[in-house]
Amino acid sequence: MSAIVTIADVSHRFGSLWAVRDVSFSVERGELLGLIGPNGAGKSTLFNLIAGALIPTQGEIVFDGQNVSHWRSHHIARVGIARTFQIPKPYRQLSVVENVMLTAFQRERSISRARSLAIETLADVGLKDYVDVPVTALTVGLLKRLEVARALAMRPKLVLFDEIMAGLTPTEVATMTKFVGGLPARGITVIWVEHVLYAIMKTASRIMVLNRGELIANGEPAEVARDPAVVKAYLGEDMNLA
Amino acid sequence: MSTFGQLVLSGIFIGSIYALMSMGLTLIFGVLRIVNFAHGEFLMLGMYGAWAITRLFGLNPYVAAIAVVPAMFLFGAIVHQLVVRPGLDKPHLVVVFATMGLSIFMQNVALMIMTADLWDVPPIFSRSITIGPFYFKAELLLGFVVTIVCTFFLRWLIRTTYLGKAIRATVQDGEAAMLMGIPVPRIFLITFAGGSALVGLAACIMMPLFSVFPTVGLNFVLIAFVIVVLGGMGSIEGALLGGICIGVVQSLSSYYVAPAYGQMFYFILFLLVMIFRPNGLLGQKGAATIGIND
Amino acid sequence: MFVGVTHQLSGRRALQFFPRRGTPFSVLELLLLIVCIALAGVGLPQSLQDVAVLTFLWAGLALAWNIAGGYAGLISFGHAAFFGIGAYTSTILFVRAGITPWIGIWCGAVLTGAFGALLALICARLRGPFLILSTLAAAEVVRIGALNWASLTGGPEGLSIPPVPRLANMVFASKATYVVIMLLFLLGVYAITKFLEGSRYGYYLFSVRDDADAASAAGVNPLAARTAAMALSAGLTGIGGSLFAQYFLYLDPTFVISPEISFQFALLAAVGGLGTAIGPVLGSFLITPMSELLRSYLGSQAAGLHLVIYSALLIVVMLYFPGGIAGALARLAGRRNKP
Repeated sequence: MSAIVTIADVSHRFGSLWAVRDVSFSVERGELLGLIGPNGAGKSTLFNLIAGALIPTQGEIVFDGQNVSHWRSHHIARVGIARTFQIPKPYRQLSVVENVMLTAFQRERSISRARSLAIETLADVGLKDYVDVPVTALTVGLLKRLEVARALAMRPKLVLFDEIMAGLTPTEVATMTKFVGGLPARGITVIWVEHVLYAIMKTASRIMVLNRGELIANGEPAEVARDPAVVKAYLGEDMNLA
Repeated sequence: MSTFGQLVLSGIFIGSIYALMSMGLTLIFGVLRIVNFAHGEFLMLGMYGAWAITRLFGLNPYVAAIAVVPAMFLFGAIVHQLVVRPGLDKPHLVVVFATMGLSIFMQNVALMIMTADLWDVPPIFSRSITIGPFYFKAELLLGFVVTIVCTFFLRWLIRTTYLGKAIRATVQDGEAAMLMGIPVPRIFLITFAGGSALVGLAACIMMPLFSVFPTVGLNFVLIAFVIVVLGGMGSIEGALLGGICIGVVQSLSSYYVAPAYGQMFYFILFLLVMIFRPNGLLGQKGAATIGIND
Repeated sequence: MFVGVTHQLSGRRALQFFPRRGTPFSVLELLLLIVCIALAGVGLPQSLQDVAVLTFLWAGLALAWNIAGGYAGLISFGHAAFFGIGAYTSTILFVRAGITPWIGIWCGAVLTGAFGALLALICARLRGPFLILSTLAAAEVVRIGALNWASLTGGPEGLSIPPVPRLANMVFASKATYVVIMLLFLLGVYAITKFLEGSRYGYYLFSVRDDADAASAAGVNPLAARTAAMALSAGLTGIGGSLFAQYFLYLDPTFVISPEISFQFALLAAVGGLGTAIGPVLGSFLITPMSELLRSYLGSQAAGLHLVIYSALLIVVMLYFPGGIAGALARLAGRRNKP
């Protein structure tokens, strides 16, 4: 089994509300998996469960052969799972490069080497000109790219992208789409939650659809787009998404 | 047994007075999310005011409340505008230090004007009131009654009036409240001034029972903090409950354990609450982990 | 309030005026160092020696507090407890067990470090005013405990160190020696601070301070980072407490473990510039002499007047200069460095 992460019967409850219900799937190494669904479907919750920010009420999460269901987020980060935050969470009193250096420390222990790695990653996402700028000077679009840089500076095995396209201009969306599409070739598995469907349909090898905490579709983009259950979940009527 | 009963009852009564003193603090805490470290000095100011009016006009502190309470409201409004508001959009440490500075300022102005002597008002009632096997100072009972009346009044205010609803909304989520059209800066001002007025009322109730001196606030402000935390940030009923708990704990521990250790008990109680139930007995879940500017 | 001086490794060999995180020396630091050494070496009049001793000591203590408060974001108003535990530990070991303070100080440091870690664990989930109040309460518990455990601490009567000047007792006849000792303490804590802020661990602290969730996602364990920072901060504060005991030769719980002292540490760091190495130093260099001066000039004229002025100044500085002195200077320096 070359699955890098397996989610088995995972459910999570907030009070009496089941945000995620009996979700099971696995992700192969080198896959680019898209995760879509209407608002409130439980996508962020699922991310938080995988990333260790939440401990699942039920079920198991296995990463790289290890049961990480009850691991906290810093342990999970250390075994190679990186994540971005839907609303960027920069370290406000540090510069752009210092923000990225924190994650780079997972790979390089020395300050100067971590800084080099950080600058390299920033160049990758097109933020090379902002290296020593205080992070508070960045716009939302740039902060989102910084989130991506922070995640990638870890040279992770698996990266969880949480709506990295929101607020980006069409040009930025196109550039970012191409960039993310190229990650599997670099050995990075991607799970990507996104509302900007165009980007994800184009690059993902597989799409999963979450609705009201349950997985309602799991297959190739074209199939999923035609799936009536999916269309209904999003739009509530007959329409062709493809 | 009747000693125990006496202790518990007087603990309840004094505790309720402590609660009245803390209600302003809990409202300010809940609405503005700041700690007014000068709270004890506001109490001191109210007590000096009650004392002065009593001495100057031959009245008693309860009547003096008519002047003290509005004066404290005004004072609170001024302090809010000058000292609190400029610090609200900055890291919370700024308001902490600003109010601490205010606390030192007020203590020492009082020291300069009133000297370090203890001042009292003459007793108002000539005898104690007897209830069954127990007897209490009339001033204590009157203080208890005023507190209960005040609590009901505040409950009514918060539950039924628009102002009350606006306050509750701001306690739950200041940003959302602002988006809903609630004039949050004005709510802040009214809450701070109102909280100060409440402290003024408490000062008038406490004047017959305690002496006033420049650092009297220090004794009471720590009690107030413990009560606010115990009862839950922003909760009036919580403050009453917390106050009664503290009053009873203090009353019992001063008698059965050494009085010196009495203070330690409610600090430990405070820490236990912070560790296990940081939202207090009646507070909102998550309140303690929502920091300021977090 | 916080100073955004960024890490500079790329190429700027020329000495900067203002300290930057990661670079060991700046003109300002060297100037201050020279001034301090001069003050310690030159014979100052007796009254000024007192001021110098206190200024250096408080600067070191403010720096120690800053490790928790400024770097890790743990605003504590209970550090007087560490100050007191350190002071009492070395003093009790000396006065009751004859152990020389040169060793006793380290015992105190270890004990206070442990208490610091404990406090961090107790307050793990608390933020903002809740943390401030809890640390205050914890310090009060320690104070009342010390006050009542008379057999150990001497209770309200306090504990005295016999004023017998001898190197082994760490008691000195000449105040000038104390000036040197306190300066060494300051330099030691400053060096530790500078090292920390330029190291990977410093970054871990900053990340936890600025956004604990993001730090966690980056592999940093927030609880471990906070606990370590508090333990270090506490231990250094304890050492300062022991040195204070050796200077003052008398300890009393109400004076030593007081909220006023806790407040002072935080104040000096905040007014000087939280989260920088030079800030707490500047804070103490400005405020300590000033408050001693005010106390001696006005203290006799009208009881409390000096505090009235001091506190009014404090309110104004806090509200209108949020970056502290260091922040204001950094802005000036930044403007001068621009073309």
